Amino acid sequence: MPLELPRVEWATILPETILVVGAMLILLGGALLRRRLPAWVWTVASIIIAAGAMVSAWDLWRRVSHNHQGGAHTAIANAVVVDGFSVYFALLTCGAVILAALMADSYLRRERLNAPEFHVLMLLSASGALLMAAANDLIVIFLGLEVLSIALYVLAGFAQRRAVSREAAMKYFVLGAFSSAIFLYGVALAYGATGSTNLGEIAAFLRASVSTHAVLLGAFAFLIVGLGFKIAAVPFHMWTPDVYQGSPTPVTGFMAAVAKAAGFAALLRIFFSTFGTHRLDWQPLIWALAVLSILVGSVLAVVQTDVKRMLAYSSISHAGYILIGLQAATVRGLAGSLFYLLAYTFMVLGSFGIVTLVARDGDARTGLDAYRGLGQRRPGLALVFTVLLLAQAGVPLTSGFLAKFYVISAAVEAHSYALAIIAMLAAVIAAFFYLRVIVVMYMAGDEADTADADPIRVPFGAGLSLAVSVVATVIIGTILAGPAFDFARHASILRL
Amino acid sequence: MAQYLPLLAMLILATVFAGGSFLASGLLAPKRPTLAKAAPYECGIVPDREPAERFPVRFYLVAMIFIIFDIEIIFLYPWAVIFRQLKGFGIFEMVLFTVAVFVSLVYLLANGALDWGPAKRLMATPTVDPAGARDPRRTSSSTVRRIGPTGKEAA
Repeated sequence: MPLELPRVEWATILPETILVVGAMLILLGGALLRRRLPAWVWTVASIIIAAGAMVSAWDLWRRVSHNHQGGAHTAIANAVVVDGFSVYFALLTCGAVILAALMADSYLRRERLNAPEFHVLMLLSASGALLMAAANDLIVIFLGLEVLSIALYVLAGFAQRRAVSREAAMKYFVLGAFSSAIFLYGVALAYGATGSTNLGEIAAFLRASVSTHAVLLGAFAFLIVGLGFKIAAVPFHMWTPDVYQGSPTPVTGFMAAVAKAAGFAALLRIFFSTFGTHRLDWQPLIWALAVLSILVGSVLAVVQTDVKRMLAYSSISHAGYILIGLQAATVRGLAGSLFYLLAYTFMVLGSFGIVTLVARDGDARTGLDAYRGLGQRRPGLALVFTVLLLAQAGVPLTSGFLAKFYVISAAVEAHSYALAIIAMLAAVIAAFFYLRVIVVMYMAGDEADTADADPIRVPFGAGLSLAVSVVATVIIGTILAGPAFDFARHASILRL
Repeated sequence: MAQYLPLLAMLILATVFAGGSFLASGLLAPKRPTLAKAAPYECGIVPDREPAERFPVRFYLVAMIFIIFDIEIIFLYPWAVIFRQLKGFGIFEMVLFTVAVFVSLVYLLANGALDWGPAKRLMATPTVDPAGARDPRRTSSSTVRRIGPTGKEAA
C-alpha cells in the first residue's frame, strides 16, 4: 500500500526556517571561528537573520491580506496555519529578537559570556514562538512550546558563574517541565473529548455537539494551567520573580516579551478561535485569572525593592490586562489583546534594557538604590526610563494608555463591568510603584553614589535598542495609534 | 469509563502489593544489624576511605555525543525499513535531520568533547573581548605576594 506523503509548503514556514537555519549557521561559525572573529559579528548575524525572517513574514502578511494571492489558509497537512494572527506574532517576535540582540551585545562582552551560543539559543527560542503562533494542531503547539522553553531554560542560566542565574535556570526548568506536562495532559483530554488534536477538526466537532462533556472541561482547565504558566498569570506566577531576577537581564527582557507573547498566541488561538463555541464554560476561568493577575501583580510590585523583581510583578499584572481581552471573547477584545502585546513588547524590552545598563558589572546593581540620582548622572537614560515606566503605568500619550484603554473598553462592551472597574482601580495601584522609581531617579540625590567609580556607560547597540523602544512606545501612543490598532485588528484568526 | 476499570484495578493492586511488601518485611524480618551488614556494599573489599565525590565533568559531553547518535538511530532505523515507500520525500527529510545532527556534532567536537588529555580546558574559554581581557590594574606586583627570607611579607 503506497503511503500518502504530505506536501510541505516551505513558503508558509519560511520565517521559522530562516531562524533555525540561521541559528545553525551561527552555531557552526561560533564553534569553528569564535576565537578569530570579534564578538559583534554574532550580534550583526543574529540581527540580519531576524530581519530576514521579518521580511519573509511581511511577505506572508501581504499574501494573507490579499485574497487573490491565497488569503489565510492552512498548510502542511493542516498542521500549520498562515493567517494575519500568525504573521502578526512572527513580526512581533522577530522585532523583539532584534532589540534583545542589540541589548545583549554589550552585555555579553561586559560579562565575558559566549556570544555565539547566546544568539543561537535566542534564535531557536524565537523559532519556537513563531511555530506556536502558527500552529493549527495542539501537538504542533506543544512542539513550539518546547522549542521555545528549552532554549529559554538554558538562556536563564547563561551567566553560569552567577549562582542566582543557575538557580533561575533550575527553577524555570523544573516548573516549566511540569507545566508542559500539564499542558500535554490537557491535549490528551481534548483529544479524548473531541477525537482530534487538529484545531480545525476540534472546532468542527464542537460546533456540531451541544453538550459539554466533563472531559472537555478538564481539557480547558489543563490547557489554561499549562499556558497560564508561560504567560505568568496568577496563580501560576510563582516562578516569575525569581527567574526574572536571576536570569541575565537581556534574557529577562527577551523572556518577558517573547515567551509571554507566544503563550498568549497559543491561548488566544485555542480558546478564542477553537473553543469559541464553548466560551461560557471557560470565560469564568479567564475572568478569575485576569482579576488575580492584575491585583496580585500590582499589589506585590509595590513592596519590591529590587527593580528587576518589581518589573517581574508588573509583567504579571500586564498578563492580567491582556487576559481581559480574551475574557471578552469578541473580535474587539482580541484586537485589544494583540495591541497590548505590541505595546508591551517595546515597553518591557526597553525597561529591562535600562536595568541591564544600570546593573553594570556582574549584573548586580538592580536594587532601587542604584537608581538614586540617575536623573543627575545620566539625564538621558533617566528620561527614557521615565517614559517607559509612565507607559507601563498607562499614562496618556503613550502606547500603554491606549493598550489599557482598548482592552478595558472591550470588557465594557462585553458587559464585564466588574472586571473593567477592577482593572482601572489596579492601574491606580500600579501607578504608585512606577512613579516611585521615577521619584527615586529625580528627587533622591545621593552624593556617595553620584561619585561612583564605575559609571554607567551606554554602548551604541544598547542605546539604539533603547531609542527604538522609547520612540515606538511614544509614536504608537500618538501618531501611529490608528495604523497600529488597524494592524492588530487585521491580525485576525482564520476561522475554520 | 468502563474500559478504564482494569487500569484502576491494576493501580490498586500495585499499591497494595508494594505497600504490603514494605509493611510485611518491616514487621516480620528479624533485625540484627552488624557493622558489615550496614556497610553500603555488603560484599567485596572493605572501603578504607570515602569514595571520591567529584568526577570529571567531561563525561557529560560523552553522554551528549551518545544521545546525539542514539536519537539519530531512533529516527534512521524506522525510515530505513520503509524508505522505498517514502521515496524522495523521506530522503529529503532525513537529510535535513542528519544535517542538523551533524551540526551539533561539529559543535561538540569544536568545543573539545574528545580532548581527553589530562588537565586541559574542556569547553573553550568564554569569549573575551581582547581589549578588556586583562584588567590593567592586575599586574604581577599586585597579585603575587612577595615573601621575604623570614617567611613574612617583604617590606
